[in-house]
Amino acid sequence: MFTHLHVASGYSFKYGTASAGQLVERAAEFGMSALALTDRDGMAGAIRFVQECESHGVAPILGVNLSFLQKKYRITLLAQAGSLPALYRLVSAVNRDTANEKVLTFETLEKFSQYSSQILALHGPDSYLASTIAARRDESALSIFHSAKELFADQAIEVISHRSKGDGPFSIAHAAKLLGFARKHDIPAVISNAVRMLDRTDGPVADVLDSARLLVPLHQRHIERSNSEAYLKNEAEMALIADEVSRAAGESNGRLLLRTTSEWAERAILSPRRDVGIGSIHLPEPQMFGAQRHEELAEQLRRRSESGLHRYSGALSVQAAQRLEEELATVRTLGYEAYFLAVADIADTARSKGIRVAARGSGAGSLICYLLGISGVEPMSQGLLMERFCSTLRNELPDIDIDVESARRLEIYDAIFERFGPERTATVSMVETYRARHAIRDVGAALGISPMEIDLIAKSLPHIRARNIGKALENLPELKNLKLDTPLMKTAIHLAGRLDGLPRHLSMHPCAVLLSDKKLLDIAPTEINASGYQMVQYDKDDVEAVGLLKLDVLGVRMQSAIAYSLQEIERVEGTKIDIDAIALDDSLTFDLIKSTRTLGLFQIESPGQRELVGKFAPQTFTDLIIDISLFRPGPVKSDMITPFINTRHGFRSKPVIHPDLDEILHETEGVVVFHEQVIRIIALMTGISLAQADEKRRELGTFESQQEVCDWFYPAAISQGYELSLITQVWEILRAFASFGFCKAHAAAFALPTYQSAWLKSHHTAAFLAGVLTHDPGMYPRRVIVDEARQWGIEIAPIDINRSEKSYCVEKVNVDGARPPYEAPNTASTGAILTLPDARGYAIRMGLADIQGANEKEIDSILANRPYVDLADFTHRSGASAPTTKALLLVGAFDSLYVGQGINRRDLLLHFHDLDKFGRNKGGGQMALQLVPSTLEASGLPDLTPAERIRHEVDLTGMDISHHMMEFYGEFLNSVGAIRSSDLIHQRSGATVLVAGVKVALQTPPVRSGRRVMFLTLDDGYGCNDVTFFENVQGDHANLLYHSWLFLVRGVVRKTGARGISLRALSAWELGESYSKWRSLSEVNEMKVGDTGE
Amino acid sequence: MFEQPASAPEPRVLAPEGEPIEFIYRGHRFHIHNILSRWQESGGWWNRISDGALHNSAHLEQSIFNDGGRAIWRVEAAPVGALATFEIELDELTGKWIIRPTSRPA
Repeated sequence: MFTHLHVASGYSFKYGTASAGQLVERAAEFGMSALALTDRDGMAGAIRFVQECESHGVAPILGVNLSFLQKKYRITLLAQAGSLPALYRLVSAVNRDTANEKVLTFETLEKFSQYSSQILALHGPDSYLASTIAARRDESALSIFHSAKELFADQAIEVISHRSKGDGPFSIAHAAKLLGFARKHDIPAVISNAVRMLDRTDGPVADVLDSARLLVPLHQRHIERSNSEAYLKNEAEMALIADEVSRAAGESNGRLLLRTTSEWAERAILSPRRDVGIGSIHLPEPQMFGAQRHEELAEQLRRRSESGLHRYSGALSVQAAQRLEEELATVRTLGYEAYFLAVADIADTARSKGIRVAARGSGAGSLICYLLGISGVEPMSQGLLMERFCSTLRNELPDIDIDVESARRLEIYDAIFERFGPERTATVSMVETYRARHAIRDVGAALGISPMEIDLIAKSLPHIRARNIGKALENLPELKNLKLDTPLMKTAIHLAGRLDGLPRHLSMHPCAVLLSDKKLLDIAPTEINASGYQMVQYDKDDVEAVGLLKLDVLGVRMQSAIAYSLQEIERVEGTKIDIDAIALDDSLTFDLIKSTRTLGLFQIESPGQRELVGKFAPQTFTDLIIDISLFRPGPVKSDMITPFINTRHGFRSKPVIHPDLDEILHETEGVVVFHEQVIRIIALMTGISLAQADEKRRELGTFESQQEVCDWFYPAAISQGYELSLITQVWEILRAFASFGFCKAHAAAFALPTYQSAWLKSHHTAAFLAGVLTHDPGMYPRRVIVDEARQWGIEIAPIDINRSEKSYCVEKVNVDGARPPYEAPNTASTGAILTLPDARGYAIRMGLADIQGANEKEIDSILANRPYVDLADFTHRSGASAPTTKALLLVGAFDSLYVGQGINRRDLLLHFHDLDKFGRNKGGGQMALQLVPSTLEASGLPDLTPAERIRHEVDLTGMDISHHMMEFYGEFLNSVGAIRSSDLIHQRSGATVLVAGVKVALQTPPVRSGRRVMFLTLDDGYGCNDVTFFENVQGDHANLLYHSWLFLVRGVVRKTGARGISLRALSAWELGESYSKWRSLSEVNEMKVGDTGE
Repeated sequence: MFEQPASAPEPRVLAPEGEPIEFIYRGHRFHIHNILSRWQESGGWWNRISDGALHNSAHLEQSIFNDGGRAIWRVEAAPVGALATFEIELDELTGKWIIRPTSRPA
């Protein structure tokens, strides 16, 4: 039986054209009993390959094909049974050897000979050995071979014929020469096919990959491939080649060659369990927690958890103690104590460094996580379940995710590496695959299509799979103008589709960190990634398969924004707020949410969420959890929201299915929203445990197993005494909603920062918005947040050379002027009057970091040398570059130095040009000119107009600081009868209106029907207008929407609830253009008026 | 090396097991005595994109992905008398044979 010993999959980046799965499947079809994977320069595909082998009944062989000696040669290495760790360690060593560009050298082999000496080496046609043989230097070849003997466990000559023309590598003649050498010197010889494709027809894909890898266009001169023979051949085809080569070498047939190949394959076959470690588990050793044995860990976990029980009192404390016992028993059975303790340690470390931490995901369902301080959400009163997170029935590892301040996330990484050491910790990789944009770019470059043309298409493509490019191009009206039906473009699109899903490179998973025992480096190949962290070459599924537990450390900008706000409050007010201890029932906070003025808040600031909170009017923390759970594609599409809202507001009576279920469904008005509810219903009606019920819930997710659950559910519920009609009714609900449900623990973990951000915005509006501006956590550009602050009556203080910090700071100011025109809109549906905060009395000072082109060093230098007495002083001492100084000047950063002196920005600008010239001459050593900078004086030139000021602000900081930019269009907008966003609520549903504004967001969420809907959010200085463009109006406007940013829109008002309102667009114009037309028109009118007057 | 005239009748090659053993060239039957070398060629598909054959997208896949695969045998063959050297090429897409006498010595 023939075994391929040299096979590259797509994990040989930009080289292999087939997935590991396709290759294994094909080998199984051929009846092959084993298959090797020897990807180029890395082993990222190993686990996937071994899993595929297991499921296809093929024995796996793992190896690697490494670049050797200054990239001139290659060598194929195979692990033997028991020596896979050695191969991993050698590959890791090579991948860390950046000095040699990750190329294997003899020095590396000698240095790591304890590993290489366990490994089999194959010298193929592109090996150092073969090139020496081909050069007819048999003596040196033989000495190379002998000197390498002690470096490897065993070596063979690898004969490959692709039937290439001539007598170079991969030709029959070359192969025969290698075989002849092997025979003459009694060296074992094996045959392989150096597979890189699944089928002969994959040649063009290989060419495109070569072109992308080598960065050259397709041309005969650059193409390595002379034919399509490097595909996975079957046994007969390989026997034919073996015969051909053997005969050319003077043997009667290829039998000996094939037999040696089989013997070598036999030596290299690995056991997926014993060798690869599939299904094992690796956790930090008890010693890492100061314990000797595992039992002590359990004791430690119990002690630490119990010490948190004081948070409960009365009856709840009894329940909590009981639940803790159950959870501890589960953890005990699974042996995961070390995992919980490790995560608790990490959370504690973060807090001790003053870094905000919050658990996210289903982990919040565990009481242990709450008691250890990993999660801040109290699980019992919210009905959160441990079983949803982790149970003895689950065949997968639990996954705790923690959210930390994005700005300090890497500090946590460093702390983890320090605590557990690089022999137990690593980051995880992520495979970047070809999607539409990259595919079309690489194919376009290969085919020599003009870069501009390709760029245009690539940028227009949404983030979709490459194989859907054709379809996408048909559906995008704005691409109609591109000539896509030429043979060249058609070919490009077709080929791009063939690249679909092929790996491009490995990058670091954005948040996963492994916590293992010290075996880590024996069970996974590693490298040092671009950020300098050790990273396993496996992705998150692979690490789970070999039993490596990971912790997801997610950087959340909102946590940074909250931390920043708290610092500002402490700095300005002198109050220290423990945001994690605030009561969760603050009415001011909920009034703010209900008013839909949620810009800047976590999770609920998007146009869609603003509409939903307007309809829903959340009153409690639980309501926030429900709101977050409802706002997802599934519930929105299946319209779970309407029955819920209708019941909540009393438009519909609450459906009572059965009294037993009422307790479970009460909080969500009889609608199934949460996974936890599904689990409880199943457990309640069939009498099984919650853990078993969660298994059933998971099975509901797939169509095939759904029927099995159904067949089980009916008899099980009947045996509990439920009526058939009820069972049918409940089953229908389970079937319909199980897949749309959301993990309540996950939503609750999100609801906490949502609430905290809302609380901060209601009680410390300026400090909160300064935090949002500094850390930019949300979907809106900064200028919208600046405008939001302005609307709340907060002053926007310009950049000031002596007062601005790097980031945004809060300053106290005198309250002047009336309360902002900010009313809570119509509250008719609830009859409640909303109280909105009075945020006056504060200013937000713009920061220096927003000046375009100013770098960190410059800013630090400016700050360090303060204060400055005038512009000359600044130019002399600040260390700022001329462009930065000029930018600062233009946005008014020096204005406060010249108050009341009759000096305007234009005078300053002239003065600065003199200073700059003088400074440069001085630096150039032109002393002879004796130039003295002119003194600053009023030139009599007019100051910059407000319009010019704003233009400079927008150009240099991206924000309109002194005024809202829509103010200039006020007269025009009034004359055409445009409606302010704040007045839209007074319009009747169905009315046609005109609105205007700056583009804040343009979203095109994926819709299953394939019909694209575009959501445009416009800010007009009074709030936001949310405008929907359906397909029928997109053709005319999609281009405009993508490429302009000031709009005038005509649309039809649609009211969706108490405060929910949106517009359906009829047409749209670029505001500036409309304005110019109006200007010229009114000039004409004035002239006409003038005419009649004469 | 020269091509056959375009008007020449299509060559007939006898290859019962895939490998040629006899062929007719310019009206003469040649018997193959020895295969000197054989190789596979393909590629250059990107040069054929703009030749107009691909306007119909149904042909696109076929035209690109068959990639002009060719099997070539360099053989010694003789009708009667002295041996001559030929290259026999099989176009794997169309199944057409091309025969070229070659001046290159064996």
